[in-house]
Amino acid sequence: MPRKILFKSILLTTLVIVAAVTCLGQSTTGTVSMSATVSKFVEINSGGAVTLAGNSGGGVTTDGVANSPLAVAINLGELGPSNTNSFVTASVPLKIRSNAAYVLSMTATVTSSGTSSSRIGAADIGFGLGTISRSGVGVNTGGSDTNATSGDPTLAANGSVNGTTGRYEFTAVRSNLSAFSSATIALSGPIIMNAVPRSNANGLTVPALFAVKPQFFENGTSTISVTFTVTAP
Amino acid sequence: MRLRHCTISLLIVLICLAFARTTSAQALDISSGGQPTITGAVGGSVIGSALVTDDLVVTINFGEVSPLNTNSIVKVTVPFALRSNQPYQVSVSMSGLTNANAQALQASDIGFGIQNPRLLGGAGKICTQSTHIVRSPFNNDPAITAAVGTNGRVSYQSSLANLSGSTIILSGPELSKNNSIKRQQSDGWVFDAIFTLTPQFFAAGVSSVTLTFSISAGPNAPC
Repeated sequence: MPRKILFKSILLTTLVIVAAVTCLGQSTTGTVSMSATVSKFVEINSGGAVTLAGNSGGGVTTDGVANSPLAVAINLGELGPSNTNSFVTASVPLKIRSNAAYVLSMTATVTSSGTSSSRIGAADIGFGLGTISRSGVGVNTGGSDTNATSGDPTLAANGSVNGTTGRYEFTAVRSNLSAFSSATIALSGPIIMNAVPRSNANGLTVPALFAVKPQFFENGTSTISVTFTVTAP
Repeated sequence: MRLRHCTISLLIVLICLAFARTTSAQALDISSGGQPTITGAVGGSVIGSALVTDDLVVTINFGEVSPLNTNSIVKVTVPFALRSNQPYQVSVSMSGLTNANAQALQASDIGFGIQNPRLLGGAGKICTQSTHIVRSPFNNDPAITAAVGTNGRVSYQSSLANLSGSTIILSGPELSKNNSIKRQQSDGWVFDAIFTLTPQFFAAGVSSVTLTFSISAGPNAPC
């Protein structure tokens, strides 16, 4: 009998101790768990002011402002034979930034008031991307970019007078806007930016070069619209 | 005979209770210090108890920290309460966050500082012989000390990269007037743990990390 009581006492004591410890409600540790998400990010902006050359009349209607949304308007002026320059050229600086591999595509439409085959068409608008620059603090200089165009359309290697028709033609690969009637890749490459804030203004810059050879085009007016789209596939 | 046994049992129980109470009187405790807050987040959140009697269990989601988040910084403030009747120290250890890509989120990209010590109600103890010391380099608000480095990346006076193993971040004299065996609403001190993350062109991905705060007996600090 005494043993039984002793056993019960031990049990009760254990219970009390356990209860006491539980009631303390104190802890010597705590946890803070954290998570964060980084999504793919790409953007295209103006890389600066437009350069228009060889024009007769016309001018830059809406100029590019570095690091602002790209929304440039250019009047190429007279493109008939009264313009005696060899080319009317427009250089539009682009700035691209990304935290992932990027693809720059382009779509172009050309409409003219003329009705004959001598009116200005998409094939008469030379196009190419110029020298690609990755420079400045925070820009990833590793890897290489792929320019899918033939570069400066005014280069002799990129166009010439057609011996049969006499019309000047931009003949190199993706050297005129007819190659961009639907979304077509113009440039691609690896991640552009290192881990820096968006306030860092650096990025990849490349000039979009447009050129028209003044010729005996059918008289009238033409409108050229080009849309650049950058993605991170 | 039965009465004798009962008496002995009761004595044992009382002795044990006294022992437990004595043990608790030397206890060190860390708990929630109030409602955590978050600012500057896009799709982020912070979850934790506002009750200072609850355990410190906080879950922070910084949300989107690519340039899609156009806020200058994401800041999270996590109040934590400490109680003790002896000198204490708080250490923090970290697990997770092992991105091999240097351009992905790294420990150095999460600012971490301790600020704003304050009494937890009227029973917090004010010692005149010693002060509560936030160990270097953690005594700062990383939202204020954030700066762009020569490589263009944002750095902080102190960040999770300053945690190596179990790192002491705070120490000081006793914190509580009471010797209560239970957490009280007003018997210690509260500090703010501040975490910051500046949205940047980090390499894409999801990162996570867990910090464990521990309180233990600290170096001699007379009160």
